[in-house]
Amino acid sequence: MSAVLPTARPRRSRPRGVLAPVALLVIVILIAFALVPGLIAPDSPVALNMADRLKPPSLAHLFGTDEGGRDIFSRVVFGTRYSLGVAIAIVFASALFGVVYGAISGMARGSADNVMMRIVDLFFGFPALVLALAVAASIGRGLGSVALSLTIIWWPGYARLVRGEVLRLRERPHVEAARALGVSNLTILRRHILPFVAQEVNVRVTTDIGYALVAVTALSFLGLGANSPTPEWGLLIRDSRPYFGSAWWYLVFPGTMIMLTATAFSLIGDSLAARRGG
Amino acid sequence: MEPLLTLDGIVKTFTQKRGGKRDVQAVAGVSLTVGRGETVGLVGESGCGKSTLARLALKLIEPTAGRILFDGEDITARHGRAMLPVRRRMQAVFQDPLASLNSRMTIAEILREPFDTHGIKLGAALQPRIRELLSFVGMENTDTTKLPPQFSGGQLQRIAIARALALEPDIIVADEPTSALDPSIQAQIVNLLLFIQRQRQISYVIISHDLDVIGHVADRIAVMYLGTIIEQGPAAAIIGSPWHPYTQALLSAAPTLAARRNPEWKRIVLTGDPPNPANVPTGCRFHPRCHLARDICRQVEPPLRPSEDGARLIACHLAPEETAEKGRWIGQARLGMPAAATA
Amino acid sequence: MILSVRDLSIGFRRPGGDLPAVDKISFDVREGETFVIIGESGSGKSLTGMSIAGLQPATSVTSGSIRFKERELLNRPDTELRRMRGREIGLIYQDPLGSLNPVWPVGDQIAEALRAHGLASGAAAARRAVEMLDRVRIPDPARVATAYPHEISGGMRQRAMIAMALIAGPSLLIADEPTTALDVTIKAQMLELLAELQREMALTIILITHDMGVVAEVADRILVMYAGRVAEIGDADAIMRTPSHPYTAALMTSAMISEAEPKQQLNAIVGVAPGLGSFPDGCHFHPRCPLAQDDCRSFVPPLRRLGDVALACHHPVGSDTALMAEA
Repeated sequence: MSAVLPTARPRRSRPRGVLAPVALLVIVILIAFALVPGLIAPDSPVALNMADRLKPPSLAHLFGTDEGGRDIFSRVVFGTRYSLGVAIAIVFASALFGVVYGAISGMARGSADNVMMRIVDLFFGFPALVLALAVAASIGRGLGSVALSLTIIWWPGYARLVRGEVLRLRERPHVEAARALGVSNLTILRRHILPFVAQEVNVRVTTDIGYALVAVTALSFLGLGANSPTPEWGLLIRDSRPYFGSAWWYLVFPGTMIMLTATAFSLIGDSLAARRGG
Repeated sequence: MEPLLTLDGIVKTFTQKRGGKRDVQAVAGVSLTVGRGETVGLVGESGCGKSTLARLALKLIEPTAGRILFDGEDITARHGRAMLPVRRRMQAVFQDPLASLNSRMTIAEILREPFDTHGIKLGAALQPRIRELLSFVGMENTDTTKLPPQFSGGQLQRIAIARALALEPDIIVADEPTSALDPSIQAQIVNLLLFIQRQRQISYVIISHDLDVIGHVADRIAVMYLGTIIEQGPAAAIIGSPWHPYTQALLSAAPTLAARRNPEWKRIVLTGDPPNPANVPTGCRFHPRCHLARDICRQVEPPLRPSEDGARLIACHLAPEETAEKGRWIGQARLGMPAAATA
Repeated sequence: MILSVRDLSIGFRRPGGDLPAVDKISFDVREGETFVIIGESGSGKSLTGMSIAGLQPATSVTSGSIRFKERELLNRPDTELRRMRGREIGLIYQDPLGSLNPVWPVGDQIAEALRAHGLASGAAAARRAVEMLDRVRIPDPARVATAYPHEISGGMRQRAMIAMALIAGPSLLIADEPTTALDVTIKAQMLELLAELQREMALTIILITHDMGVVAEVADRILVMYAGRVAEIGDADAIMRTPSHPYTAALMTSAMISEAEPKQQLNAIVGVAPGLGSFPDGCHFHPRCPLAQDDCRSFVPPLRRLGDVALACHHPVGSDTALMAEA
């Protein structure tokens, strides 16, 4: 429509400048939680203390206590390495496998590419929950099982992304020039194609960590993931169910942590995308 | 003396994998030789297949039929590593200098790549060699830690040429080397190419739609239309006295400034649809747009045959008998000499 | 005088200060003529052309005066300018794909130009769109009107763009590099088409290009721009016969490759045109000028009349003060 009535180009909308540094701060804090929880958390995440059970938030217990008298804040801090850690591991593993797979498929083209992509389609269609249940049934429940099933679910997305980018980039003049020089396919991939794909992948990895976190906590909530007394955030929410009415802090604080973390990664992903011109 | 590069009966068909399944024959049987130290100009408009032919010669794509010989050896079936020794001697320069250089590599890295690729270890001699190359193409004092986007088009094309020269090739295939540049820079690059040839006796295959540039640098010119060569011969003959009606139309469309300014100048206007390789006419490929077209032109494709004196090759039923006169006139008039116009 | 530009300056806002891209240029365009602005990359020619239609980038700052048919255009609100575009000033670009919407049939887009200006609607607009396509010499216009941009050839897209630009009956057409990406024979056809349409519709055309051949072909008057400033301006015949500004002379020499002795070095200008922000002091062309003298390096040459042309040069070619330069 605007082709007919060209207007002056509007001002470029600025990426959300204020939120990105805040998100970055949150992530730094979370990394600290994950790496040195003992230095940050005031109490043990597992030691029972029945006298203090289900106390509301106070100075001594920032997030209140749970049914075992454990400090919820400490549990959340210690739980970071499980929830976020597993999420990050899943995304990195999926990305690694997916990138390699997609790059090979894109460079190979022809029938090899076709076959490889049909396999990807197969995986794509698979319902996540069913797979998680199946995996849990075979190797037992736990964070390992969750990590495995989610990685299986996640890698095809990267494969498709990278394959598409590789197909697009291999037609570029600078790739053609490299082939005219005699550069090998592998080197072309490494030097002339993948650096241009990296940005896309980075953006997706960052945003995916948020989604993966939600998925991990959701599966734990359903009972497929971590087992007590691991202070994994999803498990905390599951354990808080009987006390929804009486001890609101038990649900709210872990839940907020999940939301906050996912949002932080999403925002960083957004600003990365904006920076590359998205 | 054997020619350096021989293309013999090259055919390239692109198959459409989806739907309509109409195969497109981008190159329909082209034969061409390039001698040592010779510049062959390949000229034509969109859809003529000249860029495809360039890529075939460089073996960036594989011919559907025909042979390619380099310095006497048949390289048609060679791939990958087997092509390395050939690639060392046959290099390329492309149309868009910024696009043909990896924008994330420094100039030093870009100029190092040819050596790395061919296993040439220069060690401490690498930097001086790179500086020498840049100097040779007129880019002395270039900061080689910079990235391509920091340079202008003309500078980048010089760098691309330096890259092509790194391995000291015998032949450079240049696909529209000046088309993406400003006019004043075009002249600089033309000068550079001429200078390099004089210094190094390199052969060139220059593909361009710009007849002026081709006329200035080529020893021999081949005119392509819809995948075939329709006229070929010494540059002076083709530019000064074109025989084929299409060549005549091309030349008359790009006369000198003086000719353009002259209200007497009558250009040959081509009617009909522009050439579409997916829809090749029967008989002579050019007949739908040729004002001389006869029945035979519509029915029989004219073969590319030598002229009587052997100086040129022409694919036209009516040339030179019915076209040479006009060709002479166009060659003269193009240079601004007023003449009685008979379009 | 259908268009009068006075002291037009366009600069880009940067944290460290404004970067001038066009520096106080002035020119007039007469009704019915073909006025060609010629320059290379960085000359500011496209910016100038776009600013006449109010389409300079939002990040730029414009000052000066652009009077079109006695009305001041500069810094008019976009709503008013939008009404004017298409109706009084038409635009065509180098790349038709950029200005044609890929998901609309060609005919609809042309008809939309009529509807948007309230000149026709419905079937009447559609019919006039087909007529316009015919007028730009598109074969089988009815079929093309129902086609999508990617379904027709590049040359036809160009013509469709011209149809869209002219259908609302503007009196001024601004063509930004309309022939640059075209084949030689198509280029020739395009220029002829524009000349014919000009006659039929009493159009004034401002054509922006870097191609001297185009200038030679169609220009009545020329404006030569270099690095944001006017180098030379005036009657096309006069300038082409005797270019007085060294840059104009060099541009013309670059365009005369076919007259040079084959395989010999051409008379090329050394160096590269300065980019935004690196314009030299004094005359912008002096670092590359074979005739540059001391005052050229320090003082900006004012625009002065010299017969049929005006030029900005301290020592024009052939003047008393020019050096007898060795070629």
